[in-house]
Amino acid sequence: MEGREEILNRLAQSVVEMDEEGAKKAAEDALKAGIDAYEAIMKGLTKGMEIVNDKYEKEEYFVPEILMCSDAMYAGLEVLRPHLKAEKVSHKAKVVIGVVEGDTHDIGKNLVKMMLETAGFEIYDLGRNVPLQSFVDRALEVDANFICMSTLMTTTMDGMKEVIDLLKEKNVRDRFIVMVGGGPISQSFADNIGADGYASNAAAAVRKAKELLERKVILR
Amino acid sequence: MKNAFADEMSSKERIANFLQGKPIDRIPCAPLILNHAARILGVKISEYNQDGKTMGEAHVAAFKKYGNDFIFIFSTTSTLAEAMGTKLFFPEDDAPWVDEPIVKNPEDVDKVKMIDPGKDGRLPVYLEATSLCNEKVGDEVFVGCVFAGPFTTAAALRGTENFVKETYKNPELVHKLLQLSMENALIFIDAILKAKGIPVLVEPVGSGSLISPIQFKKFVLPYLKPIVDKIHEAQLPCILHICGKTSMIVEPMAESGSDALSLDVIDLQEAKKKVGEKVCLIGNVRPAETMLKGKPEDVERESKECIEKAKDNPGGFILSSGCEIPINTPPENILTMINAARKYGKCH
Repeated sequence: MEGREEILNRLAQSVVEMDEEGAKKAAEDALKAGIDAYEAIMKGLTKGMEIVNDKYEKEEYFVPEILMCSDAMYAGLEVLRPHLKAEKVSHKAKVVIGVVEGDTHDIGKNLVKMMLETAGFEIYDLGRNVPLQSFVDRALEVDANFICMSTLMTTTMDGMKEVIDLLKEKNVRDRFIVMVGGGPISQSFADNIGADGYASNAAAAVRKAKELLERKVILR
Repeated sequence: MKNAFADEMSSKERIANFLQGKPIDRIPCAPLILNHAARILGVKISEYNQDGKTMGEAHVAAFKKYGNDFIFIFSTTSTLAEAMGTKLFFPEDDAPWVDEPIVKNPEDVDKVKMIDPGKDGRLPVYLEATSLCNEKVGDEVFVGCVFAGPFTTAAALRGTENFVKETYKNPELVHKLLQLSMENALIFIDAILKAKGIPVLVEPVGSGSLISPIQFKKFVLPYLKPIVDKIHEAQLPCILHICGKTSMIVEPMAESGSDALSLDVIDLQEAKKKVGEKVCLIGNVRPAETMLKGKPEDVERESKECIEKAKDNPGGFILSSGCEIPINTPPENILTMINAARKYGKCH
């Protein structure tokens, strides 16, 4: 009989190997073997995505591979999620994320979303071509920790500054950690518009988010 | 502030001599002025991209203002896909985007049509713009007409996310779409040649920012080769542009047989070392960071750096932006780039 470690390992490997069916099967087997759903997610699926993340940073995996891995991860998650015990998920940091108004390129945003989700963040995905005011409204509504904005176009990047200005007008700027990213975005652009963080790729975005969250908690 | 340093040759003479390996006065400068041309004519992007006369006039106006060494007729990389059936959305004052890919389900591949460049989508707009530029300034400058390579077109037929996943899930469909896209590109090339335009090939979805070098060799390169050959048959050089990261794919890009590579995120010294014997390098001042957001002195500094790195490239060098000049780039920055070619790119 297959042990817990083997099943968890198989969950992780299915994700890394882009195997949707395998991930589903491994998730079912995990439940059958009495493994806690939360543990199966953290030590199986999330572990797998960490390996994927690493391969992406080493330029072994690229966008198609990550999308395939993420499909496998979500397939496993779908099986495990209904079995999650509520108290284990209540303390997650909340992220409002979207592609700013005027732009519909959302692959980058989807990668960041998925990687943050697997890293344990709670995601409110506003989609693409998102009206600037919606970032502010939704963040206030769900009491988000993060506002994450993405764009691939130069004509829409200044919308990110407008969101920050809207936050300032409402006197709520300090309540949120604002992160920006996308093709034309750079650290200096992020600094100029007064964002808290910038990352050049999805893996780096997760690291940055964790780091900023820690810092914010300490400052409080 | 035009011409702080006067030119001795027209753009056309310079490029013609450059291509034939004859002496030139200075290194050529061909920033990727695309939708930005609308700003110079003072029209909205949606006016620019719907009417061939307006598009052509915009590029004539831009050429007269800047003296760029090459005209690039262009609206979006999805234009071929649009003519093949994909629906685009047109914002009033920004470049269009894919709204509804034609291939919603794999079976829809039969709905993809073979183009008639005189009729379908906005291909007639491109062709009219190309002819108009040739009529008005064709004796001073070469007029290029930009079209997307098969990988980029196929992605716009299917939706990029589905398409790149299907490189794993349904490679057969991917190859079918690539083949169709390639055949249509070949048809469009004929029409461009008839309008006396120079076909310029762009393949942004094949970027190293998106796909691996392995996939590039499997799904991108094989379909580029017939296109390059077709352009060569017309006795013309092939320019291949891919934006984003290109370090890992610059060698297979050169393998396509292209004569010039327009590159974005890569160190030009590295590109020179890897493929400089084979190809001319075009690039690569940063479009957003420097051209849009930088000051003229930033543009001058970065242009100078590019020139110093690639001026001695065995296959030649053309100063340009790494990717499209952002629509709202201050004109002063573009003039500064061209003046930098005059100032730091003297060839004798």
